Amino acid sequence: MRARVIALSAMLGTVLFNPAPGWAHHSNVAFEVTKVITITGVVKTFEWRNPHTWVLMTVEDGKGGKIDWAVEGRAPGVLLRAGWTKNSLQPGETITVDMSPAKDGSKTGLVARVTKADGTILANAGPAQQ
Amino acid sequence: MSTPRRLVFTVFVVVSAQAQPAGPPDFSGVYYPINPFGANAVPQPSAAKGKEKGPPPRPTRSAPLADGSQGRAPDAPSLTPDYMAKWEIIRKSRMAGSSEYDNTAKCLPPGMPAMMSMAYGMEVMQNKDKITFFSELNDALRRVYLDGRKPTKKILDDPTYAGYSTGHWEGDTLVVDTVALHENSFIEGFTPHSDAMTVKERIRFLSPGLLEDRITVTDPKALTKPWETVKTYRKATPGSGNDELREFACPEGLGEAK
Repeated sequence: MRARVIALSAMLGTVLFNPAPGWAHHSNVAFEVTKVITITGVVKTFEWRNPHTWVLMTVEDGKGGKIDWAVEGRAPGVLLRAGWTKNSLQPGETITVDMSPAKDGSKTGLVARVTKADGTILANAGPAQQ
Repeated sequence: MSTPRRLVFTVFVVVSAQAQPAGPPDFSGVYYPINPFGANAVPQPSAAKGKEKGPPPRPTRSAPLADGSQGRAPDAPSLTPDYMAKWEIIRKSRMAGSSEYDNTAKCLPPGMPAMMSMAYGMEVMQNKDKITFFSELNDALRRVYLDGRKPTKKILDDPTYAGYSTGHWEGDTLVVDTVALHENSFIEGFTPHSDAMTVKERIRFLSPGLLEDRITVTDPKALTKPWETVKTYRKATPGSGNDELREFACPEGLGEAK
C-alpha cells in the first residue's frame, strides 16, 4: 500500500511538474546538431517565450496514429530579427520543421527552419546576422 | 568673398578643427558578433541562409557549442593536467546531452570572457567615466570603470561572473583589466578555469562600425600559457530594425523545467 502511495505521488509529481513531457529548457548539447531531420505536422500551440520558443505539434506516424512533438526554437529576440513574430504560427496550420533531433531519442528537436504550407520559410537568422 | 579673405577664413576653420581635442572614440551602439565562440567548432556552410531553399540548415551558427565530441580545437585554451582532467568530466557530461555544465542553459550569466561572445547581440553604453556592455543572451551586463578607481580588497574578496573591470584609453584603444572572477564559469563557455583567472582586453574600431576586442586570458593554475582570442562585432545600422535588443527574461522558461 505504502509503495503504491509513493508510486502514485511520483506519478502525480511528474504530471504536475512536467505539463508537456520533454518540454523543458535544454542546452544545445542536448541535440545532435550535426544532423537535421524533417517532420511535417499540425501546430497545436506556439509558445513565444524565453529562453527558447516552443512549437507543440501533432505528426502522423504512418500507421494510422498520431504522435505529439515538442520542438524547441531560438529565442524571441533572435527570431524577431529573423522576421518572425509571436503570431507567425497558428494552431491548426500545417508546417514542416527541419530540426536537430534530441540525443535521448525523445520526440523533441532544435528547430533549424520552419516551412509553412504556402512555401514561406521562417529561418533562424536574417541576413544582417550572418 | 575675395581671395585673401577666403584664405584667412579657410585657415581659421582648419586651425579651429585641429584645436579641438580629439577625445576617445564613441563605442555606443548595438552590435552583432561576426565570430561568436563555438561558431567555428564545426563548419557551418549552409547555416541560417535566410530565405533560401535547398538543404536544411543546422539550427544555429553557434549550435555545435563544442559538446566535446570532436575533442579540443587547436586554438582552444591550453590546460594544465588538473584542468584537462576537469574538462574531460565536462566533456562526458556534455556529450551525454546534459546541461549540467552550461551556465546559460540554467539562466546564469556566461561570465567573462565568455559573455563577449555576444551571440544574440551586444549594446554598448558609454560616458567618460564608464562603459557598460550588455548581452541580450541572458541579460548579462558588465561595467568598465574609466574614472581611475581600482579594485579594493573588498572587491577582490567578492568575485563574480563578470568580475570587476577598470579601463583607460591608449589613443583610440580602450585597455581593460578584469579581476575578481570566481570559478563558476567557463572561459569561452566550455573550458574550466580557476579563481586566479584575469582578463586583459584591447578594444578599438578597425573601421567605422567594426569593433574589435583582443582578449588575453591569464590563469596560472588552469592555463599553461595565456590564451589569446579576438572577437569582432559589426554595428547595427539605425533603422535596420536590428538596432534594438529585446528583453531576454530567461527564467520565464525555467518554470516548465522545475
